[in-house]
Amino acid sequence: MMTTETLQRLEKLNQLCLTDAEKDTITAFFNQQADVFLALNQINTENTERMVHVMPILTVVREDREIKLFTRDELQESAPETYDGYWQVPRLIE
Amino acid sequence: MKYETVIGLEVHIELATESKIFCSCSAKFGGEQNDHVCPACCGMPGMLPVVNKRVVDLGMTAGMMLNCKINRTTTFDKKSYYYPDLPCSYQTTQWFAPVCVNGAVEIETSKGKKTIRIKQIHMEEDAGKLVHDDWTDTSLVDFNRTSVPLIEIVSQPDLSSAEEVVAYLERLRTLLRFAKVSDCRMEQGSMRCDVNLSIRPEGSDKLGVRTEMKNMNSISAITRAIDYEVARHIDALENGTEELVQETRRWDDIKGKSYSMRNKETAGDYRYFPDPNIMPVVIDDAWYQRICDSLPELPELKKQRYITELGLSEYDAEQLTQSRAFCDCFEDAYAVCGMAKEAANWLISDCYNILNKKQQTADMLRISGKALGELIKLVAEDKVSRGNAKKILSVMFEQDIDPLAYATENGFIVSNDTGAIEETIQRIVAADPKSVADYKSGKEKALMALFGKCMKELKGNCNPQVLREMLLKCIENA
Repeated sequence: MMTTETLQRLEKLNQLCLTDAEKDTITAFFNQQADVFLALNQINTENTERMVHVMPILTVVREDREIKLFTRDELQESAPETYDGYWQVPRLIE
Repeated sequence: MKYETVIGLEVHIELATESKIFCSCSAKFGGEQNDHVCPACCGMPGMLPVVNKRVVDLGMTAGMMLNCKINRTTTFDKKSYYYPDLPCSYQTTQWFAPVCVNGAVEIETSKGKKTIRIKQIHMEEDAGKLVHDDWTDTSLVDFNRTSVPLIEIVSQPDLSSAEEVVAYLERLRTLLRFAKVSDCRMEQGSMRCDVNLSIRPEGSDKLGVRTEMKNMNSISAITRAIDYEVARHIDALENGTEELVQETRRWDDIKGKSYSMRNKETAGDYRYFPDPNIMPVVIDDAWYQRICDSLPELPELKKQRYITELGLSEYDAEQLTQSRAFCDCFEDAYAVCGMAKEAANWLISDCYNILNKKQQTADMLRISGKALGELIKLVAEDKVSRGNAKKILSVMFEQDIDPLAYATENGFIVSNDTGAIEETIQRIVAADPKSVADYKSGKEKALMALFGKCMKELKGNCNPQVLREMLLKCIENA
């Protein structure tokens, strides 16, 4: 069940700032979903193979070969800020 | 009260691939910043990952070396992760169906053998590198390491001391290097580990508060960090110096202390969910069998075979089986020359010395075992002196050569021209009557001086036994 504490923690983790109304809506929504999962949990799935993907297709794998497709300059053309070949972002550690 | 330590390890191993896990960029260590990048590993919109088959090969190989069960259907998942060293805001990893589960590895400690259970091995992408720049008050991002393939080997909490942790890491390193899964170079970050540690009263089955120290990349630092952390936990429990909380800590090896980094996230916080962009990887029978067939003979079995079948001493066999490169070279050389002891000596002594001078490890040996075998044969057949063979060996470390052709081209073939040897000896003996007199009066060293001068004059291309006999005869007659 979604509790005030859980929502506060998720809010912090996701760096969100929710209004009280938004919190109420989200809590109600998740609790409604939780009821669905509680109902699903009643079903015995002991001998059921786990569904790994909604589509019945497998992945394509590639050979281990190094190919250089782009230069650094091409990739950084759209970057808001770069410095000496690095992407530059707001400072992360005080 | 007596306490026991409970430790579980998460060991990250960078895989020996040419390209990254989900794109074709170079996976090499180093390089100019952001030189090994493309729109996929930079997380640009619309880019889709394509799994590198070799990563799955190596993941399975590691699992088989560690006695794991291989999940024949393995899937990738997204792990939420907000930090600019992974530009997608998630790490692609494995959570619901990792490639290997339920393994075990045996370690040897001063108290005897112990089995450490492996919970799982999963494949994932590495994160990039951040440089925090004081001048510009910004952080600088290098994506070269982003998406470099890793496996994470998660142990059960079966370890109980720094000694056991070291034995476990060394065992992993030996097995994975042997199987060529990774070079496992801790100093370059291709092997690093997170240490999860708690203590509890001896005999208790209840786990204590667990702390995690991340990204440890030196065995000596890991030992110091474990000893410090155990002492800190005991102090907190016995003297109430602090409240122990489940958290992630950073080890400062210079100060010899650990510091709190952040509250430990739990699996739920990462909000794992199946990656909709990567379909399940299904390992069919042919693929599974190909990896089974590619597994190397385990080092301890190899060692035993070298002793019983090839007659090597325990010491020689032990030295050789420290490295897969040495074993491969030894076996190729032995196949050519048929002299196991000689081949072992050349590797353990001469090759090892050259590697040392080059500041390289045994695993970096790149000479041809076949060529080494040819060289050993030339020495055994007295076609090249040992001294000149050493010179040829040094060249073999720099270029791919045929020892016989090289010796012929460079005048290293031992001369059978006894006339030329006789003439050289007579000239040197005539020019140094003092050494001749010294030898005759009982100074053995004087003979060596004359011998050395003759050998130098003949550029080493002379059978030492023949030279010695001819020299003695000449002195006698002088």
